[in-house]
Amino acid sequence: MKNYRILDILRRGRTDLENHLIDGLVDGRVSRREFIRHGSLLGLSLPFLGSVGFAAGFGGMPSLARAQGTPGATIRVASSVPAAAIEPVSVADAGGLLMLQQVGEFLCLDGPDLVLKPMLAESWKPNDKGDVWTFTLRKGVKFHSGGEMKADDVVASIDRLADPANSSNALSVFTGFLQKGATKKVDDYTVEFHLDAPNGNFPYLVSSDNYNAIIIPADYKGDFEKNFNGTGPFKLEKYTPKVGASFVRNDDYWGEKALPERTEFTFFGDIQPMILALQGGQVDVINQLPVLAGVALLNDPNVEILSLKSVAHHQVHMRTDMDPFKDARVRRAIALSIDRNKLQKGLMRGRASLGNDSPFAPVFPSTDTSLAQRQQDMTQAKQLMEAAGVGKGFKVTLTTERYLEIPEYAVLIQNAVKEIGIDVELTILDQGAYYGDAVFGKSNWLDSVMGITDYGHRGVPNVYLSAPLKSDGTWNSAHFKNAEYDQLVSGYIAALDLESQKQTAGKIQRLLLEETPVIFGYFFDYLTAAAKGVTGVQPTAMSQNYLDRASKA
Amino acid sequence: MSAIGAKQPELPSSSTRGPVAEVLVSLSLSGSFLTGLVIVAFWVFCALFGEHFTPYDPLADDIINSLMPPSAEHWFGTDQLGRDVFSRVIVGSRDILTVAPLATLLATVAGTTLGLFTGYFRGLVDDIISRVLEAFMAIPVVIVALLAIVALGTSKSTVIIVIGLSFSPIIARTVRSAVLSERELDYVAAAQLRRESALHTMFVEILPNVVPPILVETTVRLGYAIFAVATLSFMGFGIQPPSPDWGLSISSNYGMIAGGFWWTVLFDALAIASLVVGVNLVADGVQGALND
Repeated sequence: MKNYRILDILRRGRTDLENHLIDGLVDGRVSRREFIRHGSLLGLSLPFLGSVGFAAGFGGMPSLARAQGTPGATIRVASSVPAAAIEPVSVADAGGLLMLQQVGEFLCLDGPDLVLKPMLAESWKPNDKGDVWTFTLRKGVKFHSGGEMKADDVVASIDRLADPANSSNALSVFTGFLQKGATKKVDDYTVEFHLDAPNGNFPYLVSSDNYNAIIIPADYKGDFEKNFNGTGPFKLEKYTPKVGASFVRNDDYWGEKALPERTEFTFFGDIQPMILALQGGQVDVINQLPVLAGVALLNDPNVEILSLKSVAHHQVHMRTDMDPFKDARVRRAIALSIDRNKLQKGLMRGRASLGNDSPFAPVFPSTDTSLAQRQQDMTQAKQLMEAAGVGKGFKVTLTTERYLEIPEYAVLIQNAVKEIGIDVELTILDQGAYYGDAVFGKSNWLDSVMGITDYGHRGVPNVYLSAPLKSDGTWNSAHFKNAEYDQLVSGYIAALDLESQKQTAGKIQRLLLEETPVIFGYFFDYLTAAAKGVTGVQPTAMSQNYLDRASKA
Repeated sequence: MSAIGAKQPELPSSSTRGPVAEVLVSLSLSGSFLTGLVIVAFWVFCALFGEHFTPYDPLADDIINSLMPPSAEHWFGTDQLGRDVFSRVIVGSRDILTVAPLATLLATVAGTTLGLFTGYFRGLVDDIISRVLEAFMAIPVVIVALLAIVALGTSKSTVIIVIGLSFSPIIARTVRSAVLSERELDYVAAAQLRRESALHTMFVEILPNVVPPILVETTVRLGYAIFAVATLSFMGFGIQPPSPDWGLSISSNYGMIAGGFWWTVLFDALAIASLVVGVNLVADGVQGALND
């Protein structure tokens, strides 16, 4: 039952955008999950969102209370080897970003439920247009080196990442939205981000989703590996490149002190030794467990699998500017020949959601779920091949990377399209050879006529919509150029309210189903394995792992 | 007529047979050679005709029934894509039995040529070529493979070239040793007196006389080549999925062992082991026959 009196009180002093979202929940246009997620994006606090939900007749917020574990444990984690030096500007791999996050913190945290939570920023809000976002910083946060974190540190940290001269890995997120100098200090505890264009999802760009964006001191000299100076609940004890790292509890932490006394990370080059180490009791946690390689642990009674809904996926691109994929009917025929249910149940052991050939995964609140799921349809696929004048089929090379389940996915696609006369030859390369220089003309990834590429998790679909699909996208391996699509994506990114986002998302989804430059077959869950008795481990689908609440029985 | 002076009837003896027949007889009596031959012949037969008697299409996936243990339906179980392991093991000999012999042939041709030159000319030619070969032998096959793949791309041809070139210095060294002793014999001096060209002397006069050590070295190298192909496939070089190649299958499935899915790897490993053992038994037999 709705309590309009309380709702009126809660609406007072809120912006039009915030009240529009509240109305959406009350009218039933926005689900409770969408309300919480989008509300957190607009900077509304979880208690406030809970109050609105309660007044709108949805009951209270789920309890955030957690069982308190036993303090003092040493939690041992198996991680992949960081690919390069641990440097906030340049880290670009799972092992490296896990190290960054052990000591570093972000303005906000994209949690396992894809709901943004305050971290170093207490709150944030956009202007009416969505091109200026103001963040209020938490007071009393200290760096491990001793100084207090203030606006100058935030400005310097973000500017460092937005500066093209630094070749920052975060440029893939900031380019086109945030330039060096556009992050401005208002006072010691307030920062404004002046964007190049409106962006309704901006807080995700400075959240843990942008794993480079930890806040470090303004006077940082580029020597992060020396002392791992951050603000987090753990401080560096020892780091040995290629071998491992250990951290100890930070007793000056601004928040609730960490339960474990220490954490230890051991780097492994392959998943198999990690599995054996977990089974043998040498480690307590495997940070990321690929489904197929980790099938050994999925039913192991001594192991608990932590499964997070993620939007990580493998994109199958087809060069829209080259035969045999110039004709969209051929691309659709290939998409229709794939049995997605079989991929989801068999290849991913049920730990994935079906993809509908657009980046709009089911978990995104803006996804238009009214569109029918594309299913395997060999008859239609054959008809499309005939109509496109390639009824007798053709031969094509699929180039891809040796990573996670991708080689197996490639084989399944090869077998699936055989039935419509397409003879796919596979070229499976190590990641270095596949990505090459990651620029057009010097990359198997960007130049191949057909390929499969791994894409990691993101809290919002902005990067997936832009880099691999926009006409000027830097990762546009399908060489897809469509003015209508570009316009729709610009509109989607600029939209501040959820309903506008949903409306535009639906148009984008329809356009991509028609054009199918890229096949999005499934979005796979992020798995972490923990030994029985180890509790409080909080991974994110971005390969980070928060261990401050971890304990051992 | 004294019995002493009587001409004895000639008994068939080894001395009356030609050298080739001699070797063949010796081989036919060699247990190790015959055992090896049966094993190798079995895998060659599987490579040529295996697909006609496998119970399932070795490439057909059945992902919903993946990782099924050995049963009456699937004798060797199924792999992670639900493919029948027995069918894949049978047909899996094809790639390895194409690549390894071709690589060995390349190594033999290149190694023999180099060995003839270094052994025949000696001096500066020998010093330079031998030092280069020794330096080449110091580089592990995997490193050579990585360099070659960067330069030539991933393919079976690359694997053949990598293994062929890696093994040729070893064969060259064996041939050189044989040539060094041969070139001191009278028939070589006679050829030189007849003003035969160096090429003629090397390839027409000396080469036929150093065939036995080359043959032994080639068969031994074939065993190593099989192992090398399997290793490179395991590391992802050369042979590409969905080939049922044994090394590649082990590489794709070895992660399953820890989960108790041993059948996805064991039978491919046994197949490699049996072929290597078979080739080595043949090599032993050939060596024994040539020494007799």
